[in-house]
Amino acid sequence: MEGKPIINLHNVNFYYGQTKALTDITMDFNKNRVTALIGPSGCGKSTLLRLLNRMNDLIDGTRVEGEILFAGKNIYSEDIDPVEIRKKIGMVFQKPNPFPKTIYNNIAYGPLLTWAHKKNDLDTLVEYSLRQAVLWNEVKDILHKSAMTLSGGQQQRLCIARALAMKPDVLLMDEPTSALDPISTAKIEELIEELKKHYTIIIVTHNMQQAARISDETAFFYIGKLIEYNKTEKIFTKPDVKHTEDYITGRFG
Amino acid sequence: MIETKIRAMKWRYFRQHAFFGIVRLSALIIAAALGGLLFYIIVNGIGAISWDFITKPPTDSMTKGGIMPAIVGTIYLTVGAIAIGLPLGVVSAIYLTEYARQGRIIRIIKIGINCLAGVPSVVFGLFGLGFFVVFLKFGSSILAGSLTLGFLIMPTIIGAAEEALKAVPQTFREASLALGVSKWQTTLRIVLPAALPGILTGSILGIGRAAGETAPIMFTAAAYFTTKLPGSLFDEVMALPYHIYVLATAGTNIEQTRPLQYGTVLVLVALVLGIDLIAIVIRSYMRKQKRW
Repeated sequence: MEGKPIINLHNVNFYYGQTKALTDITMDFNKNRVTALIGPSGCGKSTLLRLLNRMNDLIDGTRVEGEILFAGKNIYSEDIDPVEIRKKIGMVFQKPNPFPKTIYNNIAYGPLLTWAHKKNDLDTLVEYSLRQAVLWNEVKDILHKSAMTLSGGQQQRLCIARALAMKPDVLLMDEPTSALDPISTAKIEELIEELKKHYTIIIVTHNMQQAARISDETAFFYIGKLIEYNKTEKIFTKPDVKHTEDYITGRFG
Repeated sequence: MIETKIRAMKWRYFRQHAFFGIVRLSALIIAAALGGLLFYIIVNGIGAISWDFITKPPTDSMTKGGIMPAIVGTIYLTVGAIAIGLPLGVVSAIYLTEYARQGRIIRIIKIGINCLAGVPSVVFGLFGLGFFVVFLKFGSSILAGSLTLGFLIMPTIIGAAEEALKAVPQTFREASLALGVSKWQTTLRIVLPAALPGILTGSILGIGRAAGETAPIMFTAAAYFTTKLPGSLFDEVMALPYHIYVLATAGTNIEQTRPLQYGTVLVLVALVLGIDLIAIVIRSYMRKQKRW
């Protein structure tokens, strides 16, 4: 696939204790593209996603082998601080998880603790991030109300805005719409379409139509292995591997 | 066929009501015990309460006058105990739940803390005497007493804080860490505020204990009699529980001071309730702020 790779994986293996969760993954993620990771539950796609911003570090007894390069640097090398990686590679989770703070403070929280200092800059940043997440018009008058008062879909867009406020290069999304209704899902999908102009997006999804609609490239995983990785069009029209075809046509999974 | 079913239903119905009855009765007995206790104290103590009683020092070899120095002393000791026990307890709980790698050593530490919670308070008193009063040369003082009480209530606070920290949804931590915020900041800004109402609940229990204990302060802080208020952390103070003990066992005229004893008990109970009430108000205010 043509494109400018921003993340490269070379022969990555990953273990939870004794259990091997990923086997010999080699793949590149392209800049300013939406890449979908699909596969049945337990295939390792979420594990892979969480490897990319070192969220798996939080689980005791995990081990990584191989190389994961971000902008040419191995993010698992000794001299890399995972905190720095997470500033550059943001994440949106399956369930909307806003902090029990105001809408404004949800967005300002990250920047305030890491790089932003001036109040003025923060106001601009909050508006900018909320506009990018297409939430500004809905919340501009209630910025200082608790984020918990928003609907699920709004909360998820707030979480996206919160991640964007850190000005990351890459946005990881772990089934971001699985807890949302169809209208909220559609809004998030439109948003993803818009965001890929500025960000690289890697999204895990269980929804085949969603992967087909929003992604440029699709990777199919099965039991910890990368089975097929290609342009989304190709994967969904004439995949090279029979296994992939069986999965996307719903013959197993 | 239908009759057996009806009989089985009646039997289940009966069992359910019998069980509810037992549960209600247990609750009632506890409430009645508390109510009876409070009633008894109030009836016997209310006569002794007057403005002079709570604002004047004792006179005539403690057979007359008020208990002001003991009230002030107890407040100092309780606040001191919280000031020592709360931060140490919360920081320990943070270490145990957020930072320490769960394993054998942590299990042993936790067992140790639980044992500490079960140690009789007089043992804390003796430890305070040996370590703070004698070895560190604090003398019998507010400082030594507060430290002793602080260590006494620490296990309670650690336990409550641990539970409160564990109850904070993991997703909050993940959300913060995924933004590139450090673990320490995440703990400080997200986890701790979310856990604070629960931590306060534990502290309320601690406050009650610190204010009410006699044995730990007997050797470390409490004065038999003094009319003046403490000038520094190194002064002795009178304290309500010890004052009650003294009046009831070693006073100059035990029978004559009975009303004073009940009055002092009533003041102590009211004081603990008052401090608890403040903590409860703060907690419910915080709970209203953070809802998830």
